[in-house]
Amino acid sequence: MNRRMIGRLIWKDWYLQRWIILASFVGGAISLAIIAKGGKAGFLVGLILLITVLVSIGAQLAVSTIVQERKEQTLPFVMSLPISYREYTASKMLGNLAIFLVVWLVMVVSSLALLAYPWDPHMGLIPFTAIMATEILLGTCLVVATALITESQGWTIGAIMVVNLAFNFFGYWVAHIHNIANGMESTKLMWTSSASVLLIGEFCTIALLLGLTFFFQSRKQDFL
Amino acid sequence: MNELAVHFEGVNKRYAHFTLNDISLDLPTGSIMGFIGANGAGKSTTIRILMGLVRQDAGSVRVLGHAMPAEQTSAKMDIGFVSEDMRLYGAATLGWHMEFIRSIFPKWDAPYATDLLRRFDLKAEQKIKGLSHGQRVKAALLLALARRPKLLVLDEPTTGLDPVARREVLGELMAVLADEDRTILFSSHNTLDVEQISDQITFIDRGRIIDSADKEIFLDRWRRLRLALPPDAALPHIPGVVEIGGSGRLPVVTTKSFEPGMVYACNDSGATVQAIDTMTLEEIFVANVQSRRQEQIA
Amino acid sequence: MHSDIVISQTDGRPMYLQIMEQIKQRIAVGEWAIGEEIPSIRQLAVALRVSVITIKRAYLELEREGVIVTQQGKGSIVAPNARLTPRLYDEELAEHLEQVVRLGKLLGLTPAELAVRLQVATDEFAAGRLTKEKV
Repeated sequence: MNRRMIGRLIWKDWYLQRWIILASFVGGAISLAIIAKGGKAGFLVGLILLITVLVSIGAQLAVSTIVQERKEQTLPFVMSLPISYREYTASKMLGNLAIFLVVWLVMVVSSLALLAYPWDPHMGLIPFTAIMATEILLGTCLVVATALITESQGWTIGAIMVVNLAFNFFGYWVAHIHNIANGMESTKLMWTSSASVLLIGEFCTIALLLGLTFFFQSRKQDFL
Repeated sequence: MNELAVHFEGVNKRYAHFTLNDISLDLPTGSIMGFIGANGAGKSTTIRILMGLVRQDAGSVRVLGHAMPAEQTSAKMDIGFVSEDMRLYGAATLGWHMEFIRSIFPKWDAPYATDLLRRFDLKAEQKIKGLSHGQRVKAALLLALARRPKLLVLDEPTTGLDPVARREVLGELMAVLADEDRTILFSSHNTLDVEQISDQITFIDRGRIIDSADKEIFLDRWRRLRLALPPDAALPHIPGVVEIGGSGRLPVVTTKSFEPGMVYACNDSGATVQAIDTMTLEEIFVANVQSRRQEQIA
Repeated sequence: MHSDIVISQTDGRPMYLQIMEQIKQRIAVGEWAIGEEIPSIRQLAVALRVSVITIKRAYLELEREGVIVTQQGKGSIVAPNARLTPRLYDEELAEHLEQVVRLGKLLGLTPAELAVRLQVATDEFAAGRLTKEKV
């Protein structure tokens, strides 16, 4: 695969989405600041804002770079460049996930650091936070995969909605898993096997999603 | 050096409501082919198969020596493609697009691009979304022309352009052919344009190629003969008859295999040839299509 | 030099004939000098925005008529002995036309029928070229 061309395509998408990307960084920074201000209210508000930013950026980029490229008929222009459909797929996945991962990693690391804050530790929340953060990553992968495979705005928006709903239910379910629930109030880290299983399961699902996406994309014969 | 820039052999493609059947055509390097067909005839599908964007169900396609769609990446490095349903990125400027293309294609000719900007009356700083339809078409053409491709594939390049712009575009297309290693394939509704600049012409209708030949052969072999028959006389046998109009005593025969000797044959069987009309490419196309459709009904 | 040839789209005659005529006119008035190099087929095609195949045909015809000479691999020049003085040809034509009218009257042909015979003769002349060599 032509790495240079993939790089050019990713750069193109980032350039065209630059304002959205900037906005998400700003939004993320603001929500982190709110969390840092402290207090339970600050934590909750900041957290909700953070999750909103994370979920939005993933969905927005998937829609703008993949679904809209078809709708606004710029796809023929891209496909007239010296690339194959595999390179196109790779550029979309890498481009979208890379941005998302940057925002995501910053958020995750900052959140975990805040939770471990020496004079106000809430380290019991770390397993839960890690699982939910990875869940957001999984959700975004699902949205990107849906956008690429179905080529449909309807299905993609549907996927976004499903992911949002599932996130809430999943969060509720995880918070009530015996092992995890027990440790949440503690100020010390209590890592359990349940948490490990969940986390590993999530990463495996992500790998599976990415693999499936490439598989389905490579079987397509018509790109327009 | 490949002699054929484009080679289709027995290409089929089936869709739910449309089938492309047994498409075969050859386009020699250094020439320009005009592709004429009604809407939905299969021009765009054929062009997409040529570009490797759609994979044929059967048949072989070679473009610039590369098998398509397998080698489309290499082929597209030397192809400039502009289609009617193609759009550029509205939020970006023309200059951004030019820079983007320049970074991908080493053969980008910056002085030529600047010259085209001037002649097409475009400004690099303009955002694409602020351009009129005609300007957008010219912008897309500029991006395709300035990278000096070996093959230009154009789907409706002059549709929607004002007469001045059309003339400029036709001039640029011909300028491409000053280099005998460069080739053009374009589809168009504008039969006047096709008639003027094409070396070869291909007619496509309902998923099939119904005719493909040198332009001069089309213009030489198609004629409308206006005859006057004496009462009760039968129509003389005329080869290649496509259509018979007019009345019983004054038939108008459209033939696609005209030869001057035909006139003597007509006279010999008692019919008087009152006039021999040449036909424009548009008339030839319409007569061709109508007769094929009649055949299919029969 | 060659952009002064103007093609009319409403002229009913085939494009290649128009081009041939204009080239001959330029040679006749001396704008394109005897022995001088003329534009290549592709150059003229680009300048006139007309297909290469049409220019090729015009050049082939002109060569047949002895108006131009194509040198292998070097392009074409105005034939050194191109006899194109318009008046000479004009007089020749007037003479022949008189003959044609006279013969027509003898055969009892109407002017319209004469015109058809003229068209046939023109086409045959062109077809004779076409069948011998692929344009």
